[in-house]
Amino acid sequence: MKKIFCVFGLFLLMLSFSSAALAGEPQDRLKGGIDKVISILSDPALKGASKRTDRQAKLRAVADSFFDWRELSKRAVAENWSKYTPKQQDDFVGSFSELLQKTYIRKLEKYNNEKVNYTKEQIEGNQAFISTVVVMKDKSIPINYVMIKRDQWMVYDVVVEGVSLVKNYRSQFAKVLSKESPEALLQRIKDKIKALDDGKNVDDIVGKEG
Amino acid sequence: MKKRSGLTLRGIARHVLAAAGLMLLLSGVCLASEKAPGLKPAGPVLLAYGDDDIWDETGQIVKKTPGAAMSVADQVAETPDPLEGWNRAMFTFNDKLYFWAVKPVAQGYSFVVPERPRLWVHNFFHNLMYPVRFTSLMLQAKFDAAAVETSRFIGNTAFGLGGFADITADSKPYKPIPSVEQDLGLTFGYWGAGNGFYLVWPFIGPSTGRDTLGYAGDYFLTPATYLNPWYWSMGTKGYDKVNEVSMRIGDYEALKEASVDPYVALRDAYLRMRYKKMND
Repeated sequence: MKKIFCVFGLFLLMLSFSSAALAGEPQDRLKGGIDKVISILSDPALKGASKRTDRQAKLRAVADSFFDWRELSKRAVAENWSKYTPKQQDDFVGSFSELLQKTYIRKLEKYNNEKVNYTKEQIEGNQAFISTVVVMKDKSIPINYVMIKRDQWMVYDVVVEGVSLVKNYRSQFAKVLSKESPEALLQRIKDKIKALDDGKNVDDIVGKEG
Repeated sequence: MKKRSGLTLRGIARHVLAAAGLMLLLSGVCLASEKAPGLKPAGPVLLAYGDDDIWDETGQIVKKTPGAAMSVADQVAETPDPLEGWNRAMFTFNDKLYFWAVKPVAQGYSFVVPERPRLWVHNFFHNLMYPVRFTSLMLQAKFDAAAVETSRFIGNTAFGLGGFADITADSKPYKPIPSVEQDLGLTFGYWGAGNGFYLVWPFIGPSTGRDTLGYAGDYFLTPATYLNPWYWSMGTKGYDKVNEVSMRIGDYEALKEASVDPYVALRDAYLRMRYKKMND
């Protein structure tokens, strides 16, 4: 009899813990991606400066399979997107994603066992909005992901503390494009990547006057 | 202790009264300045891909009246920037200040002092800023949040070694309360005052017309302001700043590295972050 109660209790316990697993498709997909990133960052075999290239290559592979870079670029450039030829658009998507990966993967590497809580999932048609909270030592930071359904659900915007990545770039791109040609903007992104590759101190990389 | 002789009860009462008076005065100015004519939006109105957003930044379904081009958050992000020349110069100044002075000091400090004590210092200063939060919450008529914040302040001060230990961090109120991280700038915004215009101050950083007035009011509600002599006050605030920066090294660098126009990136981030805090 005791055993039955035990089993029943365990079952109840499992049910209460599995509520996270009952989340919809986009959240499961996002969680899969974030878990993968965390496992790479906390893998002892990939720790240390000597493993940096290996580690960063792995993180990039994960990012590439979870971000819809074209959608992200298109929304950031907004109404100016049609000013680029299809070939330039491909070039833009490649360069812009390169810049984002270079800078933000470096930031991710500061990961210090922060916990990610999934607080809400909303789905409307082929889009989804996932709210998460990253719990840090001295405060919690809300990070939201906007996703779109392609073959799989892909992230196209990240909102950190109310600041949307896409919209932040939209205002920058609009500013640059109000004074310069679309080609010049593309060149700026490439210059930025080159400066980062040359290992220039961030101190020196002051953006040209917009 | 002798150094703090200026901190008498009567002195505090007088300062608080002065602060309250000043604030009322400033809020009037602020509300009036909102309708300043001749200020054009900073950038062109963005359509196309912003138009089909389903959710805003906080996950609320965007409700737009037909004809309205932008959500309120987007309008706030387009706050006019008539002093862009001055602002860009101050941005460069603050940038150099960060890389040449604040960051090296913060790095050296974090090298010597482990993370845990720095967290205690953070708790202490956060606890000390209670008057700013309490006043703002009261002025916003968020009495439940003000009460919770008060009990946290008493708990942390009395039983958390004067605020070094955040012992009330895990105790949640019975029902959800609005965010307690409020200041006077946000309070004016809550009352309906607009940002006015974007403004960058040396040392202080990004601000707006509205937030500058709020900052002036907050100054009088900050206990460290009343330390005597003045260099103790400055030193304490400077130390608080260095301690905060020591826990955020890398954030600004990432923003700057990743952006094609760091000035615009920071402006957009500041305006949107403040808007979110106001509505939390």
